Amino acid sequence: MLPLRIKNVTFYAAVALLWFATGCSKVEYKKIDDPAYLRVFNNLNYKIGVDNKDEMLPFLTMLIDPEMDQDGMPVGAQIKGDFLDKRDPYAPPYPSHIGSGTSVNNPEYPGRENVLVGPVLNGFDLSSWAQIPSGKHRIVFMFRPKNTVPFFNLDPKLKKSFLIDTTMVLDSKEVYTLHVLQKDFLTKRNGIYLRKENFHKLPLSDSSIYVNFYNMSAKGYWQADNDAKGGNEYGKGAMGNGVKDQMNIFVTLYKNRTVSSPKISGYNGKYLGNLTRNADVLEVSPYYSFPLFADASAGGIFTDMWQRFDFLAPGMDIRNIPYGPTVNQTDGNWASINCLTPYPDYRQWNEIVMPNMIVNIHSGKYNPRSFATVNTIEIVNGNVYLSTIQRKYAPPVY
Amino acid sequence: MKYESLKKCLYFLSVLWLLGLNACKHDDLHIDKANDNFRPGFDFVKNNYDLSLFASAIEKTGIGPELNGAGQFTILAPSNAAFNIIGINRPSDFDKMNPDTLKFLVQRHILNERIMLKDIPFNGIDVRYRTLAGTELYASIVSRDNSNTLYFNGSLASRKDVTLANGTLHVLDRVMKSTANTTVQGWLSARPEYSILVSGLKKFGFWDELATEGPYTILAPKNKEFEANGMTAEVIAGLNVNSYIGDRLFGCYVMRKKHFFVSDFVVFSIINNDSFYYHPVANDTYIMTITAGRFNYDNIYDQSIGYNIEVRTNKNFPYDIVTNVKGHDQKAIDNLTDNGLVQDLQGILILPEQAIKSN
Repeated sequence: MLPLRIKNVTFYAAVALLWFATGCSKVEYKKIDDPAYLRVFNNLNYKIGVDNKDEMLPFLTMLIDPEMDQDGMPVGAQIKGDFLDKRDPYAPPYPSHIGSGTSVNNPEYPGRENVLVGPVLNGFDLSSWAQIPSGKHRIVFMFRPKNTVPFFNLDPKLKKSFLIDTTMVLDSKEVYTLHVLQKDFLTKRNGIYLRKENFHKLPLSDSSIYVNFYNMSAKGYWQADNDAKGGNEYGKGAMGNGVKDQMNIFVTLYKNRTVSSPKISGYNGKYLGNLTRNADVLEVSPYYSFPLFADASAGGIFTDMWQRFDFLAPGMDIRNIPYGPTVNQTDGNWASINCLTPYPDYRQWNEIVMPNMIVNIHSGKYNPRSFATVNTIEIVNGNVYLSTIQRKYAPPVY
Repeated sequence: MKYESLKKCLYFLSVLWLLGLNACKHDDLHIDKANDNFRPGFDFVKNNYDLSLFASAIEKTGIGPELNGAGQFTILAPSNAAFNIIGINRPSDFDKMNPDTLKFLVQRHILNERIMLKDIPFNGIDVRYRTLAGTELYASIVSRDNSNTLYFNGSLASRKDVTLANGTLHVLDRVMKSTANTTVQGWLSARPEYSILVSGLKKFGFWDELATEGPYTILAPKNKEFEANGMTAEVIAGLNVNSYIGDRLFGCYVMRKKHFFVSDFVVFSIINNDSFYYHPVANDTYIMTITAGRFNYDNIYDQSIGYNIEVRTNKNFPYDIVTNVKGHDQKAIDNLTDNGLVQDLQGILILPEQAIKSN
């Protein structure tokens, strides 16, 4: 009887051991102590054509704390942001690039990269910011060919084109946006621009929409020949040829999305402030605000108000603009951005059209409900980029 | 007892199942076996009727055994039609060539690495490789709608990615023209058929810079084109430099900081829809509009490309069209030197009376 029992026990033990052997797989959770939050944009938006065919294609790899071999060629890195393509005109408040498309090309970092991202900080959703260990980092941007081969698997001779090799210091729990920029249009000098954001520290109200503006165009862009810079391309609007280094900003709010939409009183060409071209100083521009429910008749839950921003050279009057609405060649004196438009064929007008700054979404029992956001409009060499940051909102109730 | 054995049976089954699960894990098994159906480089070229001229060129230079040996090669094999363009119609024509020149010609069509279509970046422009001759090879590729158009030094690869046992082979429809250790200046001065252009460039002060780093693209009309328009050597010699706009009259033939293969215009017209390239004449309102593409539409197999230049008095309307000149001569375009290219032009751009200083 006893041997049978031992036999049984052995069986059990063997079976248990086998279960362990097959069942064991350890899940390692990544954690970064003292992170800083970083979001990276490739603002190089030039086109490679016949005239500049020797320039590098603006398709990049970002390497943070790279390891170099004896020839100075990168062979590894702590953090790699590969396939960094020209940025999209709209950077939405959530990382919508993930899962939308099979391309490896990344319109921003982290974007499609599967990395640890930021938390909700003071109510702001930082899921579009990657966690990076704080402290001093060496950061390298490399030009890379446009294909699907990961950077370190490329042919060695394709891994030698440095855009910039520099260091940056990131403070713990701070929010940064890093921009790769052209600094000088004539010499084609490139560089980076690290901005320490402050929106999460400001007492911003959730009943107002905030927006700030940067003109990070290269020196000499608006003065350059319109054809040389490709500014006259259909669809680039008056902005394509650039705006002057000093501009005044005006806002107009429209009540609804119809062609005959009334302007909201008090916000018809209202002066907001001044915009100075600056691609060097690491300062946050002031945030301007207007109420989410500037249209008092909207009812306080949902509004389909949209916004228009006009940039006019100092001395010009928004009531008396000496250019027609389809004129693209305004000598850098006037350009405009519409955040939404009622016109389906908007490309014939000289404004740039962007998504609405107001997020309308199903939340709670309301579908849709309007939420205020914090926005940044960046003008870079004739292109306009809108980044929207959103607060956490209540989930929908069905 | 019967129940007991059933229980045991279940244990055994469970154990067997688990053992089976564990046993299922095995790495993929690959056996690299040389495929006997593929020939090595030189044998392939030799056995291909359409590459017979290139085969005899390789044979004469004696690098055939090397091409059959181990290692990875990329052979850019000009077809017989490509050799016919430069006047080589039978193997004996190679005997007229200097053996060193022939060896250089063959070696600059061979790379000692395997470059397949997939290795060249999509829409890559002037991706550079090194040939056996030590020269740089410029590859440009246009990828659109799952079709790829590939050019090496401006020559179209009409067959791509032919598998060899020791590499890959692309068939070129034009022999790549390249001259070692020479500048555009040296190239032009070695060719008497361009002597009128050279004398004009010298007279108006554009000649000396052509020996510098550059790169330059020279649009080069032959003497007969100048003579047909009354610009003989004597007329050029008699021109008073001070009464003509030199930048227009002869400066228009010198494109500074540019190295253009004719195929570049085709490549960018597909990638960017940039079908027109506007090249301003230095210090002048005149502008040259360059387009390129196929020109022989009668023969669908003739994929030759050439370029056209239209000189206008101004970029924007109103302007007058001064001249419209083509460069279609396949044996005379895309001449690569160390500091640029020389592109033959079948006509002249500016007549002296169109460049007279008005005051």
